[in-house]
Amino acid sequence: MFYWIYDIPNWQLAVMISGGFVLIYWFGAIFLSPILRRLVRSTSGSNDVVGYILSSFGVFYGLLLGLIAIAAHQNYTSVEEAVAREAIALSALNQDSKAYPEPLGQNLRWVLRDYCRYVIKYAWPLQRKGIIPEGGRVRVTAFHEKLLSFEPQTSREEIIHAETLRQFNNFFECRRMRLQAVTTCIPPVMWYVVIVGAFINLVIVWMFDMRLMTQFTLGGLLSLFLGTMMFLIAAMDNPLRGEVSVSPAAFELVYKFMLDDSY
Amino acid sequence: MKKIQNGRRTRRDWLKQSAKALALASLPGCERLIPVGQTAVKVGLLHSQTGAMAISETSLRDAGLIAIEEINAAGGVLGYPIEAVVEDGRSRFVDEFPRKARKLLSEDKVVAVFGCWTSASRKAVLPLFEKLNGLLFYPVQYEGNESSKNIIYTGATPNQQIFPALDWFTSGTGGAHKRFYLVGSDTDYLYSRTAHFIIKKYLESLGASVVGEKHAKLGQQDFKDTVQAIQRSDADIIFSTITGDSNVGFYSALAAQGITADQIPVLATSVGEDELRSLLPSQVQGHYSAWTYFQSLDNPQNKRFVELWKREFGRDRVTDDPIEAAYTQVYLWKLAAEKAGSFDVSKVRKALGSITDFEAPSGKVKMDPKTQHMFKRFRLGRIREDRQFEIVHESADWIAPDPYPQIAFPGWKCDWTRDGITKGAPVET
Repeated sequence: MFYWIYDIPNWQLAVMISGGFVLIYWFGAIFLSPILRRLVRSTSGSNDVVGYILSSFGVFYGLLLGLIAIAAHQNYTSVEEAVAREAIALSALNQDSKAYPEPLGQNLRWVLRDYCRYVIKYAWPLQRKGIIPEGGRVRVTAFHEKLLSFEPQTSREEIIHAETLRQFNNFFECRRMRLQAVTTCIPPVMWYVVIVGAFINLVIVWMFDMRLMTQFTLGGLLSLFLGTMMFLIAAMDNPLRGEVSVSPAAFELVYKFMLDDSY
Repeated sequence: MKKIQNGRRTRRDWLKQSAKALALASLPGCERLIPVGQTAVKVGLLHSQTGAMAISETSLRDAGLIAIEEINAAGGVLGYPIEAVVEDGRSRFVDEFPRKARKLLSEDKVVAVFGCWTSASRKAVLPLFEKLNGLLFYPVQYEGNESSKNIIYTGATPNQQIFPALDWFTSGTGGAHKRFYLVGSDTDYLYSRTAHFIIKKYLESLGASVVGEKHAKLGQQDFKDTVQAIQRSDADIIFSTITGDSNVGFYSALAAQGITADQIPVLATSVGEDELRSLLPSQVQGHYSAWTYFQSLDNPQNKRFVELWKREFGRDRVTDDPIEAAYTQVYLWKLAAEKAGSFDVSKVRKALGSITDFEAPSGKVKMDPKTQHMFKRFRLGRIREDRQFEIVHESADWIAPDPYPQIAFPGWKCDWTRDGITKGAPVET
């Protein structure tokens, strides 16, 4: 939806969203509040009624925001886990390849190292732009091809080969999960509900009969908090995009081990 | 003197690039150098990443990528970063390579392609590059007998690799060998077939003889019959153009028959450091390879290149002649584009001819604008126990490229600064 927000630094995004909410609120407090107050003025004790409505609404809206924030966090955690699992599977494959005769074992390790380097240097920047990287596929195919070219001659080799193939399938599954996660996000309809809910929140507060300075202060604080919540969800949504995203640290660690191992 | 840049972009680089971009943009009638909507200049890397040739060609892709990474870190070309569009030829030379080349040129609109290894793949994509006016940089030594306006050949020609090797081995210093046995890959394999044709003609002129010739199937491992035939022929040297995995079987069979380098040395044109990884040192030690670059070359550019290669890809990775050419050719294109102030194929090609002082890992290189091949220094290496080469002979200076050696292709010549190819008598290789 608003993918451009991931191209700007986090602090700027936070200021933009939170500040935007406060400014909208202040604007409404000056120009819309007098009109809206007129709608509820005829009722005696209008502030009590508005306060009651705001509390009821706040409960539902708070629940919605909380649940969405948790969903975004869960998305993030599961992608982080998938990335870690892929890196671990890659490392295990690298270890398994040492059991193969040379130069096949070395060739297998080279392809894995190349894959790992590709993920760190090329795939991750593409993922951050929301693009599913394709260069890994050819490297995985190359590895699989080499693996299948091996014909075990002893029962020991048969066991090792079977285990490596099993590990490869596990790795392949994790890789698919990571690629799937490039486009993982909160559905647009939920964002729609959250934004409409926030607007209704502001409208209700504008209906309070208060001095302008009180409106500015109390309403401003509430808007700031709403904006901060929005920023939090937006930043955590799309777990592979933006500054608050899953990093390639797991792969970097594996690559470091692979390079150290090449001595 | 221009040297390969390494390291991060400095503030001065940024200022220089910005000033250059500003100056270019302010020129009246100044053209945009890359298509609208693109933020980077696209180049293609076309190598087999899967299939039989993957083990050799993947390293060439890596060499191209590492050069692009370095150039981007130093500020890109003409103010633009380079974006590599990497395609897999899948070791299918006659169908997949042309398909991917067409995609790169027509859909991705790349300004240059760095790619191919086998002559079959180069021959298959050549008509496309000519038709679509693309620019292909080809990094592998080859058999000659070809020249295209749209190809820059950065590998060696026969007169830069085969002839000086034969000169040395037939001379007193090289053992005054006179009886050569030729072994190569399948007769359908263009390189072996044409190279053997040229070798025979040249040996004839040197007063040496070919006492036998055998071709193996691509991937063949059983060389017992070949080795027995060599023994029966009383050859005093073997010239091998065998390519790929078959070398494992060939050198093993020689060792199994008790043939050592002291008895009958093998001179190979397709065995580099990368291929030696698959061979046992005891089976290959003392044999020879003819190239224009070896990893063991002792110069600052090469030391830096080898260190960079190992740091990026692992200490067990080795560099060799085609890898060095694949790396160098990206820099040559960059320098030419900068000299031309454009990515236009004809302008870049013209500018390539004026680059004369580029310090590559193999030493100073330059392109011959007439043939669009490189001036190269010949080197002969003897295989050491550590599967590296001891350089036993080096040409005194650059050797000018000649894709049509007159001894094999009389009357043929090419000059792209004038009329292009002049055809001589038809030659059946």
